[in-house]
Amino acid sequence: MSMNPIIAKALEEGRYKLLEHESFELLRQYNIPVPDFALVQNVDEALKVVKDIGYPVVLKVVSPDIIHKSDVGGVILNINSDDELKNACERIRNNIKEKAPYARISGFLLQRMVPEGLETIIGATKDPIFGHVIAFGLGGVMVEVLQDVSFRIVPITEEDARAMVREIKGGYRLFNGYRNMPVRDEEAVIYIITKFSELLSDNPNIVEADLNPVIVLERGGKGAYAADARFIIGSM
Amino acid sequence: MEEQETQPQEVKVVPEASMTFSPLDLLFNPRSVAIIGATPRENSVGGVITKNLLTKFKGKVYLVNPKYDEVNGIKYYKSILDVQDNIDLAVIAVPAPAVPKVTEECVKKGVKVVIIISGGFSEVGEEGAKLEEELRRVVQNRIRVLGPNCIGVYNAFNGLDTFFLPEDRMGRPRPGPVALISQSGAVAGAILDWAARRNIGVGLAVNYGNKLDISEAELLEYFARDNRVKVIVMYMEGLKYPGEGKRTLEVMKEVTSVKPIVVYKAGRTKAATGAVKSHTAALAGNYEVYRAMLKQANVIEADNLTDAFDMAKALATQPLPRGGNRVLVLTDSGGMGIQAVDALDMRGLQVPELSESLQEILRKQLPPLAVTRNPIDLTGSATDAMYKFVLDTVLPTSYVDMALIIALMQIPGLSINLGNYIVEARRFGKPIVVVSFGGNEYVAKFESNLEENGIPVYHAPHRAAKALWALYEYAKIKGAAKEW
Repeated sequence: MSMNPIIAKALEEGRYKLLEHESFELLRQYNIPVPDFALVQNVDEALKVVKDIGYPVVLKVVSPDIIHKSDVGGVILNINSDDELKNACERIRNNIKEKAPYARISGFLLQRMVPEGLETIIGATKDPIFGHVIAFGLGGVMVEVLQDVSFRIVPITEEDARAMVREIKGGYRLFNGYRNMPVRDEEAVIYIITKFSELLSDNPNIVEADLNPVIVLERGGKGAYAADARFIIGSM
Repeated sequence: MEEQETQPQEVKVVPEASMTFSPLDLLFNPRSVAIIGATPRENSVGGVITKNLLTKFKGKVYLVNPKYDEVNGIKYYKSILDVQDNIDLAVIAVPAPAVPKVTEECVKKGVKVVIIISGGFSEVGEEGAKLEEELRRVVQNRIRVLGPNCIGVYNAFNGLDTFFLPEDRMGRPRPGPVALISQSGAVAGAILDWAARRNIGVGLAVNYGNKLDISEAELLEYFARDNRVKVIVMYMEGLKYPGEGKRTLEVMKEVTSVKPIVVYKAGRTKAATGAVKSHTAALAGNYEVYRAMLKQANVIEADNLTDAFDMAKALATQPLPRGGNRVLVLTDSGGMGIQAVDALDMRGLQVPELSESLQEILRKQLPPLAVTRNPIDLTGSATDAMYKFVLDTVLPTSYVDMALIIALMQIPGLSINLGNYIVEARRFGKPIVVVSFGGNEYVAKFESNLEENGIPVYHAPHRAAKALWALYEYAKIKGAAKEW
């Protein structure tokens, strides 16, 4: 199997991390739901494409030189109007000028806001003996504090993915409507895990990946979205 | 599952001349064996192997050592090339530097598989690693190798025994349905000694040492094919080669669809990872990943070696539960009964209350103090007949899928004959495990009678509960039991 063009391009340019829109594009190729997004160069382009995407949106800086976008004020959430959008573009430019003056800005990522849901993490590393290993856990600080994570080795079946979701201690109760919380779309997460496994199988160059958060909405067709994605690649 | 015999029938796996056999078949069932480095000096590695094979092996043995011509009327050959007969298996126990040369001779002789007992390879550092690479070049798909730096093969069925530990130090288990694959040679030796003492039938055992060639995956595949094996126990520290995790997982998954595998993976903690690395020259890796592999492959994970054999004993002798996870607990001690219920519940097994009508039947025959809900507590006034009555009444009903029987034999109403009643209850086709606890000879006799007749005995309720859990887990894997 030949190398995925997105990964090939990054390696050609000497990059070991995919840009955010590249990551989303890769996920889309495997039918992993991502919020609608577009890459824009300036305010005018942003105002044009937002008509298709629809408010509310998130605006993120795209730069090969910035790893943690939020730390340098490169992310603005919950933008609800054209005025707010114009304002956001301006604010991000100023933030970067001030906090990361060295950084090249290759554009902005305009992304539809995913409604609130249960935040989970689907991650992957490449083990020298086992190859790709997928991890699943609840999002936020809890995953680190409780170390409540399940692992499986790629390729994983639907049954394996279901077992992963049910294995985490707090997870299963939260999925099933703990107290007055809604019941979550478990099948949608299981689907993402199996497609993610397929993506990793096809792309041995991926050495690390995180879908964080994967937001799981209510059961009954609302589904789940990878709201953010990060891929680290290697030249093998 | 109909196969409940503790002494499995002798299935013919011994190769016949007209057929071709895989190297793995020949590794365990050779017709002729050459020992390279054979010696009459009994306290040496080569000496113990020589004695083992000369006294026990049901096949031809050829001794190779240029230092001897003949000892006690037995001929020694200068080289394996001087032997006229075909050699199915060569066992090499010479100093490491001589190993590549004698292995080359085995290739020339047309030997298909060798066991290299000799140590002094990658496990001892750079020099040894170079020697192992030299050996690898000699081997190059021309001959199959178990080892080097291993203790080799024990086959109780045909007396093939390369374990170089003298019989007075390491007991040999009787032929039986359990097969052992151990990454550590010393652990393998200790397990066999322990199993022999407890009369657990470990018919086949193997240690693969540095794993130059034959891997645990291939050994698993062989044991899956061998009809004498009912359950495979594995002691594992870590895999060694890049990328071999996937293949091991695939093989394990295939094997568990045929027969159960119980694995104890040592080196679980960060603290132990370094020790595993230096012990096996393996990359070790994160325990979480190994756990993931075991789960994906439907392998039953044990917490330690005794735990592994507790479960193996039940898996080798008991039918799988067919209906679900409901357990009849029958006891002569309320205290033991409570412990059993705790242990079963923690493992996700149920102890359902029996129906009123069924309890009514029980109450009519049992003394007034007996408790009939389940656990059924016959109290200190229990008799053999009461146990028999409860088993015959409850076990055939659809209320329960398995039985955990506690028999504290210290009370006067019970006799050895109780064991026979329990053995007879096997006819209901449901798994039965027994908890017995005590120290006197009468208890020991009761226990060995049960075990010899295919009923596993445990010395604590939690161990018996875990054994039933393993049966239920494997039943789910085989699709025999419903998920509850």
